[in-house]
Amino acid sequence: MKRGLLLLLVLLGAGGALAQQARRNAAENALTPTRAGAYPILSVPVSHLRPGQPPPPPQVTNPAGDDPQAAQRGMRYFISFNCVGCHAPNGGGGMGPSLSDVKSIYGAEPANLFLSIYQGRPNGMPAWGGSLPESVIWDLVAYVRSIGQKPDGNFGQTISRTPASPQKQQTPAEFVQTANPWAFTEPFGNGKKPDAK
Amino acid sequence: MKLTRWSLLPLVLLSCSARAEDLNKLSQDPAQWVMPARDYSSTRFSPLDQINAGNVAGLQMAWTFSLGETRGQEAAPLVIGDTMYIVSSWPNKVFALDPVTGELKWTYIPHTDRAAQGVACCDVVTRGLAYDDGKIFQVTLDNHVIALDAATGKELWATKTGDINLGETTTAAPLAVKGKVFVGISGGEMGVRGRITALDENTGKIAYVAYGAGPDQDVLIGSDFKPPYDWMKGKDLGVNSWPQGAWKIGGATMWGWFSYDPDLNTLYYGTGNPGPWNAEQRPGDNLWSSTLFARNPENGQAKWAYQFNPHDVWDHDEIQRNVLVDLQIGGANRKVLLHPGRNGYMYVIDRETGKVLSADTYDTVNAYKGVNLETGRIEPNMDLNPSLNRTVQDVCPAPPGAKDWQPTAWSPRTKLLYVPHQHLCMNFKASEASYIAGTPYVGATVDMFAGPGGYRGEFMAWDPVQRKKVWEIHENFPVWSGALVTGGDVAVYATMDRWMKAVDAKSGKVLWSFHLGSGSIGQPVTYRGSDGRQYIAIATGVGGWPGVVANAAVDPRVRNGALGFTGAMQDLPTYTQGGGELVVFALPKSSSAQAAPTQPQPEKR
Ligand code: HEC
Repeated sequence: MKRGLLLLLVLLGAGGALAQQARRNAAENALTPTRAGAYPILSVPVSHLRPGQPPPPPQVTNPAGDDPQAAQRGMRYFISFNCVGCHAPNGGGGMGPSLSDVKSIYGAEPANLFLSIYQGRPNGMPAWGGSLPESVIWDLVAYVRSIGQKPDGNFGQTISRTPASPQKQQTPAEFVQTANPWAFTEPFGNGKKPDAK
Repeated sequence: MKLTRWSLLPLVLLSCSARAEDLNKLSQDPAQWVMPARDYSSTRFSPLDQINAGNVAGLQMAWTFSLGETRGQEAAPLVIGDTMYIVSSWPNKVFALDPVTGELKWTYIPHTDRAAQGVACCDVVTRGLAYDDGKIFQVTLDNHVIALDAATGKELWATKTGDINLGETTTAAPLAVKGKVFVGISGGEMGVRGRITALDENTGKIAYVAYGAGPDQDVLIGSDFKPPYDWMKGKDLGVNSWPQGAWKIGGATMWGWFSYDPDLNTLYYGTGNPGPWNAEQRPGDNLWSSTLFARNPENGQAKWAYQFNPHDVWDHDEIQRNVLVDLQIGGANRKVLLHPGRNGYMYVIDRETGKVLSADTYDTVNAYKGVNLETGRIEPNMDLNPSLNRTVQDVCPAPPGAKDWQPTAWSPRTKLLYVPHQHLCMNFKASEASYIAGTPYVGATVDMFAGPGGYRGEFMAWDPVQRKKVWEIHENFPVWSGALVTGGDVAVYATMDRWMKAVDAKSGKVLWSFHLGSGSIGQPVTYRGSDGRQYIAIATGVGGWPGVVANAAVDPRVRNGALGFTGAMQDLPTYTQGGGELVVFALPKSSSAQAAPTQPQPEKR
């Protein structure tokens, strides 16, 4: 299966480079035990409730985190592996929840996102751990992190017609394809045609 | 009147066709509403006239019932004997209620797989139930077909007809015809191989499957098949009109409506779009996607087929309601089928042969240039052809078409078709799609918006003989509810921004409106209770493809969300939230007592 998907990428010409990148011997750190034999990722909670006030869980960082190209690669995976079909371009949401507004259900820290993608989630998120190499998942994590921006507001968010809230929308993906979509915005469209750029 | 399995038994023993006639007859009883479209012809017309254009302004809420779910509620309530039945969005709970008091009689909760929600393209809706012979038939999002004892809610059988790991879900309402239950399959955006399945009503055993593409043997095309135009003649066109093997993942699903003509013994339904949306990956006509089928329900064999949109490039499924009526056209009485196409053309089709009699635009259309009545082929506008990675702008109609699933209504009194629909255009950019089983197979970035004039929906009355719009009401949002029309010359629909409306069926004048709890995409029905009063019922709960921005985690700031529908609906959350309630209306007790029923009493069995 893992091979199947990679082969698919190559066949589609989505780039031999992508497939190569996927095979890249990544630091498969999350699923490799430490010298002491612990799997840090297993200690990452999905819930904020931790009875008995135990010590804080370990921080698991994205091994691709320092690579400025990681989000860019992640964007291409997001499209090629059809994440885009369920979560929509720029993660706007549809069949799957939006990833663009950081209203995450299962946590928005890199380790939470890694686990959501690796294990799948019960309400219809497929488990990709059996199909995608760890390094690809970390690139996807970098991309998901780069497309999220909280809606304007403080603790909560106000939705109204007057005054208009939200005030802005992204420049739509048919005009700009980027791993940093919140760098391109325009006034909220209220269902009218977007300003063509 | 109480209907049990036993009361109909003698008919069952007589023959299967006797039973189809029986359901057909039952559907004529003005007190009841026994299938989502009310009758096999799919008219959604009720002869009841206690509520009429003269008094509908006094309509009041009689009772409500919470469906316990807050996603889109598209199901029509059914009223059979002294019980009302309705099914909720996922997990597809079925409720039996007293149609007069709203008292809950029983609830059936299927253990529908929660993962099915992730592979349902356009909200986790279901479109209704079927009834026959003392049984309620339901489908679940995870592809189970279930028979329940209508009296007790006891599960009689359950059969699985699809696999969510292939992206398959079931949302179309089943229909019972001649001892069989017909169900469709959804997943035209998931590389599903479309089909309909016929199951034995009594056992749940699969009688046959008729595919939407593939070899003739699978499509059930045989010696009876007589297509109306030459270009649909030939062997295995369901294979040969696709690139090698593409038909296996090419969609041609069925998530809409069945109609049935008992005299012609013909079952009618349309198939969905070809996949992926990026049409460059599937050169050819892609038969039998976006196609109207006429089949013999007994063995499934196709009598004829007509492809509305050869090589569809815009996601223009043609699964809409086909309304079977007889009309005086050109001085002759014609057996026709009315099909408001997703492509924006109103088709009048000879339902004996499949020949197109007329096809006229009923909304803004620039994606096509017209339908050639000689060849039956629609002419695409090649200037707008969406070649790979090129953004084409201002294409009308958008992917949901000028009309999507919304059930129409036909009044034999006004001879008008009442059509709830939308008015949307789009920007479209095709991209390469990769097939991974169980994930979307689309390859398009879409951004929809209001059509010319700035409005997004319309409720209209169409005269199929004069081939013109008689009146129209513009709505801010797509009119995603169904329509109802009655012997009291009242037409009913509801809006996504929470208005329920009753209008004069002749003039389109709004006579009554009511602010609902949530926007409605439901199907209004009407019935007469055992108390002699006429009721109108509808499910509220905004949703469906356009409504997920208000009922689910969809970001209104990202226009391309929800397969591009977010662009057109991004301000919906400022009008409504999700909901899920059955709402029932009647005239105040005093005034309905004054208005003596003019209809015959329900027949006693
Ligand atoms: C078949 C549709 C589908 C596909 C394909 C899909 N997802 Fe999901 N995804 C979902 C659904 C549905 C959920 C919500 C699951 C839940 O609530 O239990 C989800 C949840 C998530 C979450 C957690 C969101 C949160 O709020 O906590 C992340 C992160 C995510 N998906 C990323 C991805 C990535 C990356 C891919 C591609 C490798 C992908 N998804 C492919 C449907 C999909």
